[in-house]
Amino acid sequence: MKGAGIDSNQARITADRVGKWFGEVIAVNNCTLTVGTGVVGLLGANGAGKSTLFKMLAGLIEPSHGTVRVFGRRLRDDVGWYRRVGFCPESDALPDWMTGREFLELMLRLMGFEKAETNRRVDYWLQRFELEAAANRRLGGYSKGMRQKIKLAQAMAHDPDVIFLDEPLNGMDPVSRKQSIDLVRELGEQGRTVLVSSHILPEVESMTSNIILIDRGRVLAEGAVAEIRDKIPEHPTTVALASSAPRALAGFLIGREHVVGVQVDQENRVVVSTDHAVAFYRALPGWLLDNGLVVDEIVTLDDSLEAVFQYLTER
Amino acid sequence: MTPATNAADQSLKDVSPQRSVPAAAWLAWYSLREMIRRRRLVALTLICLLPVLMVLAIRIWFSQAGVTAQMMLASLSHDVFIPFLIPVVALFVGVPAIGEQVDDGTIVFTWTRPVRRRAIYLGRLLAAQAVSALVLSFSLALCFVVMVSQGAGVLTWEFIRLYLQTVLIIILGAFTYAALFAAVGTFFKKPIPPALMYAVGWESLVTNIPARVQELSLRFHLQNLITRPTESPKSLPGLLGALLSTAFHREPVPKAESVAVLVGVMLVAAFLGVWLFRRKEIAK
Repeated sequence: MKGAGIDSNQARITADRVGKWFGEVIAVNNCTLTVGTGVVGLLGANGAGKSTLFKMLAGLIEPSHGTVRVFGRRLRDDVGWYRRVGFCPESDALPDWMTGREFLELMLRLMGFEKAETNRRVDYWLQRFELEAAANRRLGGYSKGMRQKIKLAQAMAHDPDVIFLDEPLNGMDPVSRKQSIDLVRELGEQGRTVLVSSHILPEVESMTSNIILIDRGRVLAEGAVAEIRDKIPEHPTTVALASSAPRALAGFLIGREHVVGVQVDQENRVVVSTDHAVAFYRALPGWLLDNGLVVDEIVTLDDSLEAVFQYLTER
Repeated sequence: MTPATNAADQSLKDVSPQRSVPAAAWLAWYSLREMIRRRRLVALTLICLLPVLMVLAIRIWFSQAGVTAQMMLASLSHDVFIPFLIPVVALFVGVPAIGEQVDDGTIVFTWTRPVRRRAIYLGRLLAAQAVSALVLSFSLALCFVVMVSQGAGVLTWEFIRLYLQTVLIIILGAFTYAALFAAVGTFFKKPIPPALMYAVGWESLVTNIPARVQELSLRFHLQNLITRPTESPKSLPGLLGALLSTAFHREPVPKAESVAVLVGVMLVAAFLGVWLFRRKEIAK
């Protein structure tokens, strides 16, 4: 990250005063970044410019001004360097007519892998994301969470050194979230560069301690999460959990550590107030697994990031 | 990550782009499979049954009117396939072949592979051309079967030669129109109206202008390649056909010139399409 003591030899991703306009709308404004190895979270509210910045870094769109480099190269010109880059887009678009296996096969064959190696990798990644049973089903019939997993698999299956993950946990159930978070941390520990975007602070916080905050196309703050969290005004975070047995879940959660309030709303969701969102998110999958409870979806109702933005922009 | 690999291995990783020919071949194969599963292809195949019904109707109602199988085949290709079916099929297969993937965002997965954009474009284009040619050839093959079912006498060497010649002309037409419409689909945000304006407006208008202006249409050059039987018609439908042919008669140009024009347009359209595609940005 910028200012994190990374010299130009260690930098894998650089953006120098990069900007992007769409007509009169400024999506990204004068961003300068240097990212070395490890996991870095790119945080910002919806529409902050995260996806546009990702697309510029991955060579999918041209900056209106400034330069972006990965391994010191412009990926758009040096396409061979995509062998060392993985990209998981935010968009849900997939070739729905293909099966999960065919999709991964094509992605790996286009990377230049031979058939035997392709098959080995496809099997490994299908198993890693628990998609073996759905391997021969068309992507059009995949759930949102399964689509996220197959997008992640195609971004990682060729062992890239730099991985861009744009909102990778969207639509995943709590168990898959935990597995994906563990995987991202593992990639960082292996010395790879993982730039991961999200609009949920606790989500990113569970993957890394290094973050870049972006708002309205500008880099607002960067550094260790703890430093930025210190600036958040103290108030509980509210999370809604969708479950087929909301009352049982609510009864279970009352009195748990970091849970300061529980109620069931009109949509039959369990609304939980927590005084420590990160600890709550970390503990939740274990509680659910140990007690046979099922949660279909988690939604953060008051985005604590808003408080950070408010604080920082008012400074 | 995948077993037996780690970050240290990556420093040795090859960073050369994939060779364009095998990459384009892979993409063509997968794209072909995608395109033949599209619903619009079912609709196009149904439209392509139109000439088969026409041949059947002529066989049933005008079997004694002196319309030979050769005349029927030449008229079908000249008046149905070339002015109508080839442009329509190539338009609805060629226009979305590349542009649609950029619009829906699925192109991102091929753009982030070590494959040059020209290979991606040419792979998709080749699939669109093959699908168009397959649908049209299938229709012509059915027409051939209906004509041959008249009796063994129909199956002369001249007729078989005319059929094979027509298949080649249709394939050339499908390849040329598909290349042109794929470039249109890459350039325009809403490509169907301009493509239709070209196929229905420009081609019809220019083809019916006398003198050399008519040479500015693909239709003219495709029709110029058709060998029409010279025998005089002995019946009313045959006479009508001959009259129509005379009314729309154009000065022919050498066939080699027409082939050169069609191949030239295909190559220029493909080159232009690649050039546009390299500048394309992801929409979603």
